Amino acid sequence: MDLHLDADDLNACVQCGLCLPHCPTFRVTGDEAMSPRGRIHLMREVQDHDAPLTDEVMESFETCVQCRGCEPACPSGVPYGHLMEQTRETLADAGALTPLWQRLAFKPLASPTLLQTGSSALAIAQRLHLVPKRLGISTELPIRRRPLEASGTDVYFFTGCVMDAWQRDVHRSGIRVVEAAGFGVTPTNELAPCCGALQAHAGLAEDTRSLAKKMMANLEPGRPILVDSAGCGAAMKDYGHLLGTPEALAFSERVFDIQEWLAGHMDRLPVAEPLDLRVAIQDPCHLRHVQRVHDATRTVLRPYVRELVELDDEGLCCGAGGAYSVLQPDLAGQIRDRKVASIERSTPDIVASANPGCSMHLAGAGVPTVHPMELVDRALGRADTAP
Amino acid sequence: MSILDRLRGGRTAHDVDPLLVELQAALTPERVKMDSAQRSLLGKDASMFEGGVSGPICYPTSTDEVVAIAKIAERHGRAIVPRGAGTGLAGGAIPLGAPVVVAMTKMNAILEIDEENGIAWVEPGVINLDLTRHLTPRGFHYAPDPSSQQVCTIGGNVANNSGGPHCLAYGVTNPHIAALEVVTATGEVLLLGGLDAEPDGYDLRGVFVGSEGTLGITTKIAVRLTKNRPGVRTLLLSFATIRDAANTVSAVIAAGIVPAAMEVMDQKITRAVEHYVHAGYPIDAGAVLLAEVDGAEAGVDIDADRIRELGIANNATEVRLAADETERALLWKGRKTAFGAIAQIAPDYYLHDTVVPRSKLADVLDQIYEIADRHDVLVMNVLHAGDGNLHPLLIFDGREDGVMERIQAAGEEIITASLAAGGVLSGEHGIGVEKQPFMDQLFTSDDLDHQNRLRRAFDPTCRANPGKVLPMGHSCADIQQLRSVPTGVWG
Ligand SMILES: Cc1cc2nc3c(=O)[nH]c(=O)nc-3n(C[C@H](O)[C@H](O)[C@H](O)COP(=O)(O)OP(=O)(O)OC[C@H]3O[C@@H](n4cnc5c(N)ncnc54)[C@H](O)[C@@H]3O)c2cc1C
Ligand code: SF4
Ligand code: SF4
Repeated sequence: MDLHLDADDLNACVQCGLCLPHCPTFRVTGDEAMSPRGRIHLMREVQDHDAPLTDEVMESFETCVQCRGCEPACPSGVPYGHLMEQTRETLADAGALTPLWQRLAFKPLASPTLLQTGSSALAIAQRLHLVPKRLGISTELPIRRRPLEASGTDVYFFTGCVMDAWQRDVHRSGIRVVEAAGFGVTPTNELAPCCGALQAHAGLAEDTRSLAKKMMANLEPGRPILVDSAGCGAAMKDYGHLLGTPEALAFSERVFDIQEWLAGHMDRLPVAEPLDLRVAIQDPCHLRHVQRVHDATRTVLRPYVRELVELDDEGLCCGAGGAYSVLQPDLAGQIRDRKVASIERSTPDIVASANPGCSMHLAGAGVPTVHPMELVDRALGRADTAP
Repeated sequence: MSILDRLRGGRTAHDVDPLLVELQAALTPERVKMDSAQRSLLGKDASMFEGGVSGPICYPTSTDEVVAIAKIAERHGRAIVPRGAGTGLAGGAIPLGAPVVVAMTKMNAILEIDEENGIAWVEPGVINLDLTRHLTPRGFHYAPDPSSQQVCTIGGNVANNSGGPHCLAYGVTNPHIAALEVVTATGEVLLLGGLDAEPDGYDLRGVFVGSEGTLGITTKIAVRLTKNRPGVRTLLLSFATIRDAANTVSAVIAAGIVPAAMEVMDQKITRAVEHYVHAGYPIDAGAVLLAEVDGAEAGVDIDADRIRELGIANNATEVRLAADETERALLWKGRKTAFGAIAQIAPDYYLHDTVVPRSKLADVLDQIYEIADRHDVLVMNVLHAGDGNLHPLLIFDGREDGVMERIQAAGEEIITASLAAGGVLSGEHGIGVEKQPFMDQLFTSDDLDHQNRLRRAFDPTCRANPGKVLPMGHSCADIQQLRSVPTGVWG
């Protein structure tokens, strides 16, 4: 079957295997079918040799976290993320992947009212202990949320879908920090209800394209767009590739991860007494392997905490992977166990993670996790604002 | 039938195979696989060899399970093929004749570290770099560092007697292995070698190291630990020609310096690497030499200075000293990913691995460029220059008509030229299936018969990784027959 994969992209893989240890699913299984090299080989077998889509082949594709840890490890520059997204799109279009119930589950993401109502219902259900554990919702969801107000027009602040419904306080921290640097902020709210990352991962790229077009039409040109969720930022920086238009490319170029952007404006951030904490940095995959701006997290945090520590697992995925922890709970759990062990070895007081999915997934294992912006906000809360 | 059923092939159906049933009973059903996807994947390693056909694939977690697999396979008259990370470049882990593949990746525990005696007991599936990372905080490392060290397994290293850039001063895998627990193809468990400095009797441990899975499967390995050296200096020397670089290498050795590593890369490979790591490799240089010295802080500066002088005496155009650990790590990352980085140029490569006397390096390199030119193929050279270990990479696009014949012809001439210069067939990647046809050029018929007898002492029924290393006629299995087993993997 033609998976519509670019032949040159596919052939760029020389089967050297250097990516294997950077793949979370290979790490926990030792199974070639759960490795990037294995998955690429199977894509080739399906596309070039018409191999049947057996359950095992599908399983190999479906168990990929799409963390893209294999990409920076690959000396041949295989664009693995795009290969897997295209594979999933073709298979979803053909009806072989992402069943109807999953497609329906993604629908409310694009609709703020539906999502907010649903989330409040979920929050109440949570209080009544009606939410199954396997959903992995470990933090207490808010029942009511105060709206985010605009303070100016220097930058957009992307609020998005699930994160806005579940972790609006993180947005609030991020906005306060950007404002502390002297910028007026416009939260995107209903102008940009959802980035479409989860849909693209599930092979529903058409949905992502329409969300991307809507967002591009609603946001005024020129203004930087700051994003505090690594997964959303990565998806929005990929609009250029996804839509292939000059407008989309220009749009992607003004998308910044919030840490990335602040790292370029450190001189404008007030000086403050560092928090007395030893903080371990957990780099979200889509910040480290896809956007590759994870150094910025360190730059921004360093002045505001007593000590930063690195984990010893070279940025191996934590297993959250958007909806992955719900769809593949066993593997996600095993992958998380490795991450938790690495965190324990680094003996931090707290873990900073710049992605809502990762922090919820880690919190589910009892790891105290915050967004880096929450720490900076906390430090600035008692900041001496006079320079 | 729904669309889904039509598209999705369902679970692979296979007739109930008694071999499979017994293996699944001995391990668990999840850890014995026979589906078409798995068999297709495990039919390959990092080599070019395409003809692999695997039988059931087992993922054991203990020595007892490996024994059980060997005995079950014996009852069914099937061979066993151990596999580590599948990064072998000579096809050693390629299954021929639908054998039982024994994937060692789940046996990956570091069992015991004895700092006092400088020994660690590890399972074979431990990744080389993981072991070093684990040892670093204790002030030790595992010295052999193949460029694939981030992924290859200690078991695979033992089987191939693998080397790496830093083996110039420290030696390849063999001297770093103290003892081995081995399961033979008949299911017998042997302990080879021992922790004493000089164990009595024949060195059967040494026989096993480098045996490429043809004597059995190692299930536990005692490796020797190496103390981290206090001082390290890394130099990057640029030259207009690869001959100047090779001459510098000879001059350094002749001056009595034993650097930890001396690696040469030619211009094309340097450019590919620089494009990937951005380490500041000079892309205009005809060749670069990466040299590293280690030892006491005081001594390393003296050695580094002398290497600089010798480089300049041999026309070095630039000499750079890595300023800090970050720069040093980046330079090494470049060298160690050289094989992969070439895919930016063309999708396929054929990597050779011959060793020639150091004094002949420059001449043989000239010949290699000439051979490649004549056959109209692109060649790039990376070499463990200190050991005279050449890695000419022939780079091509396999989709091009007739290219395989040219690659094959050029490759054969390169090997012949290396042997003619007094060299050997394999520096470190092993013989596998790839170099087998050349064994006759290196050994006499008598030599090969003796080697086969040694092998038979371990493996009387010829079921340990058959069809590897020893060429047809001198080995117990007829390779053609092994290769022609007709099972279509996807069938
Ligand atoms: C990018 C790249 C760079 C490389 N650089 C180097 C280098 O610098 N130096 C070097 O020497 N090699 C190098 N290699 C080759 C390869 O990595 C080594 O040969 C390595 O030791 C193979 O280890 P593996 O775990 O991948 O073994 P595999 O490829 O899986 O197997 C190799 C052989 O070992 C046998 N084997 C595996 N496990 C066991 C066991 N437990 N008991 C008995 N036999 C076993 C297999 O049957 C096979 O014959 C490189 C390869 C690549 C792809
Ligand atoms: S994806 Fe890259 S690193 Fe992985 S096997 Fe292919 S070429 Fe090697
Ligand atoms: S994206 Fe992540 S899970 Fe998928 S193959 Fe790459 S490293 Fe493995």
